[in-house]
Amino acid sequence: MKVTVVKNVLDANNRIADDNRKLFDGHKMFVINLMSSPGAGKTSLVERTITALRDKYGIAVIEGDIQDTFDADRIAKLGIPVVQINTGGACHIDGNMIRETFPSFDFSKIDLLIVENVGNLVCPAEFKVGENIKVMLLSTPEGADKPAKYPLMFQESSALLINKMDLMAYVDFDLEKARRDSLALNKDLNIFEVSCKTGAGLDAWVAWLDRQIDAFKK
Amino acid sequence: MHELYLAESIIQIVSDYAARDGFKKVNSVLLSYGRLSCIESKTLQFAFDVQSQNTPARGAALHFRILPAAIHCFSCQKDMTVDAHTGICPACGGADVLLTAGTEELQILELDVD
Repeated sequence: MKVTVVKNVLDANNRIADDNRKLFDGHKMFVINLMSSPGAGKTSLVERTITALRDKYGIAVIEGDIQDTFDADRIAKLGIPVVQINTGGACHIDGNMIRETFPSFDFSKIDLLIVENVGNLVCPAEFKVGENIKVMLLSTPEGADKPAKYPLMFQESSALLINKMDLMAYVDFDLEKARRDSLALNKDLNIFEVSCKTGAGLDAWVAWLDRQIDAFKK
Repeated sequence: MHELYLAESIIQIVSDYAARDGFKKVNSVLLSYGRLSCIESKTLQFAFDVQSQNTPARGAALHFRILPAAIHCFSCQKDMTVDAHTGICPACGGADVLLTAGTEELQILELDVD
């Protein structure tokens, strides 16, 4: 006997992510899902972004890692509310893990929530957490072939930061190829060349993000 | 990739239907996904076999209908199926290309039950 089902297997996660989104909307919280390979500089970008925007917006951070609390400790030093999720081996953060952090936050004081996903260029792009935008980092030592090899994340992101531009003289990174291949996958991608170490190029990123949050709040 | 999570979700859906319709055995589950979504069918079957013990889904074979990836090229105005999405049109080399199919999420279409 055949039983017709037609059910999306990721429905359970999508439903939770949608519920999260509604809750965030209710509090006018702008949420970023930040993704990259391990070591590309996500936490450094979060620190820089906090420093630039903390006077204007209430900011909170969710850190995702397989284990340990190094990243959360770094953010906590800035005096920003932060929760560390240890996925215990899972390769991405999903909607339910985000939901479980809610009791730790006072939503009335948060305008911008940054979710720093597990370092991984594959899975995080497939699991919504309830974000407004996906943002990804690619660092110059990783090589310019990443858009061609891992297209989904580049397709899904609103902004791409090419980080560690200060290392361009030492690494064999074809900037034009990275830009060209990324834009071929996603014409609406906003690309920023930055160094989270020196701070170069970050003004443009911060100004762009500020405009997105402003537009959302209106 | 995250096949354990997907298998768990499939088993949950099958169990819900078993409770609703009262069938005892599931022979097979027909699933579909776009060929560019990151799913490993053999890994998924393995994860499913391991996790479905003591559930109504136990012993079911997973069958897959893999949906082709397709692009539309605005330069040569062609629609065509592709193996991978690079953003470049394989016919004319143009870069003004839109991915029109291939990233469909995993869906359950049908159960074969006794």
